[in-house]
Amino acid sequence: MADDIVLDVRDLRVNFGPVRAVDGVSLAISRGPFGIALVGESGSGKTTVGRAVLRLVPAVGGTITFDGQDVLGLRGPRLRAYRRAVQIVFQDADNSLDPRMRIGATIGEVLAAHGLAARGAVADRVAALLAEAALDPALASRYPHQLSGGQRQRVAIARALAVAPRLLVLDEPTSALDVTAQARILALVSRLRDERQLAYLLITHNLAIIPGLCEQMVVLYLGRVVEAGPTGDLLARPAHPYTLALRSAVPEVEAAARRSRIILPGDPPHAAAPPPGCPFHPRCPLAVEICRTKVPQPRPVASGRQVACHRGDEVLAGLRPPGAPAQLAGEP
Amino acid sequence: MKLEIRDLRVSFGGRPVASVPELAVDGGEIVGLAGESGSGKSMTILAVLGLAETAGAAVSGSVRLDGQELVGLSGAGLRAIRGARIAAIFQSPSLAFNPVFRVGAIVSRALRQHGLSAAQARERADAAMRSVLLSPDLLSRYPAQLSGGQLQRVAIALALALRAEVLLADEPTSALDVTVQAEVLELLRELRDSRGMAILFVSHDLAVIAELCDRVAVMRAGQVVEQGPTGQVIAAPRHEYTRELLAAVPRLGS
Repeated sequence: MADDIVLDVRDLRVNFGPVRAVDGVSLAISRGPFGIALVGESGSGKTTVGRAVLRLVPAVGGTITFDGQDVLGLRGPRLRAYRRAVQIVFQDADNSLDPRMRIGATIGEVLAAHGLAARGAVADRVAALLAEAALDPALASRYPHQLSGGQRQRVAIARALAVAPRLLVLDEPTSALDVTAQARILALVSRLRDERQLAYLLITHNLAIIPGLCEQMVVLYLGRVVEAGPTGDLLARPAHPYTLALRSAVPEVEAAARRSRIILPGDPPHAAAPPPGCPFHPRCPLAVEICRTKVPQPRPVASGRQVACHRGDEVLAGLRPPGAPAQLAGEP
Repeated sequence: MKLEIRDLRVSFGGRPVASVPELAVDGGEIVGLAGESGSGKSMTILAVLGLAETAGAAVSGSVRLDGQELVGLSGAGLRAIRGARIAAIFQSPSLAFNPVFRVGAIVSRALRQHGLSAAQARERADAAMRSVLLSPDLLSRYPAQLSGGQLQRVAIALALALRAEVLLADEPTSALDVTVQAEVLELLRELRDSRGMAILFVSHDLAVIAELCDRVAVMRAGQVVEQGPTGQVIAAPRHEYTRELLAAVPRLGS
């Protein structure tokens, strides 16, 4: 089993000054084809985990192991080799592509930097990568602003593929796109997964894009893992009330698929001042006395699953909050 | 009908970008306008607000509010209606608020522009904030100190404080987390049901429209290709493009 793990993150901690942005996150990514989703709201620390994996932000604790190497200790050529093996695609392709560079130059630069194509072969290689990302190779001569948002995100994926990575970090790759463009990007990821035997970490706030793409999922709240496990089982029977709320928030086309909506009061607390006890308890519709004082530790619940909730077993067994809609108060 | 659009055409330099033969929204009703980026949804909204011309577009046809024609109205006439009777919220609430002013200053300025005294403005703003489940204390903060969901609620609170009868909502939840989206959608339903607001809701996401809207018009390349009661359009789409949009929606399933 351990041989199948390509990236192992254990007890990862990232601080921004006094703020514990990531507070002890563990996850394991198997060899491709394999997908794992990292789910949570804005401010949950999911993007910071992705960046720490790439060594774009420093970790203050924990370990990251890639193919048996200690990632946090890598320097010089070894770090460069690691960054070739692990690539990231950002949410906002508008900002991750240089507006003054033609698409072909943007991708060609990566090939040159890693010595992956002789000068005469760059154009052909760029054309092949664009085609692989389902783009017209003629787009190589265009600038980013001449492309649609979906096309720009495909270019970002083609650029990531240029170095033949073994692991992709996809940070909200479709959040800035409309559903039509999103569907095309997700279909592309699905195809590349099989064709390139890719492993990927998909960072998202939308549970609906996970089934079909990710075998495993990890739910983050305020920098901590609240629930983790196989996607199908976890989505069918969540053991954490936060996962229940995330699941109920997904809009559904068919009325039959809609769940009674659990509206979480307020915004997530700021990681600079986490509440005592369970970090989720101020918004949790199922919180009881112990939740206000004692931090729940992650523990196994059902096969291959973990939950950090004092009432995890009850939730797994079917405990549900009353689905009362938010009330409006006062007349203006 | 509260808001009635007829033969509305918006064009740039003779090139048509949005054409809506007929679309009406009554009080207590949410009507969806669905389509991809570039389909003409937002241009339709801007034309209703009388803002398309300022973007360089030519507008013809008719937009009526309680029977009063808005197309061709003077600047002063439009200003009296825009905000006070027809309010709008947009995709990016952080761009809708001037970052150098406190949120409360922006809200009270809008209220005073529509004739309220400073004291009345404060009172109405506080009450409107509570109506969208926000603490009036947030009015003393700067926009950057509020989350996207909170800012979108403040934008809705402003519409409430002005007692707007029509709300134009242009992708108001597309930039928000799904959890925050669920809250804002719940709030829009409340505005429809308890205040009888007429809401025109623009989105690319048919799942959101299916959950929220009573009727829907689907736009593609500037044309309305299909419209009808939401349940009917979703259950039995007649146009190929509607089927494509439906197929693109990711599903969690039951």
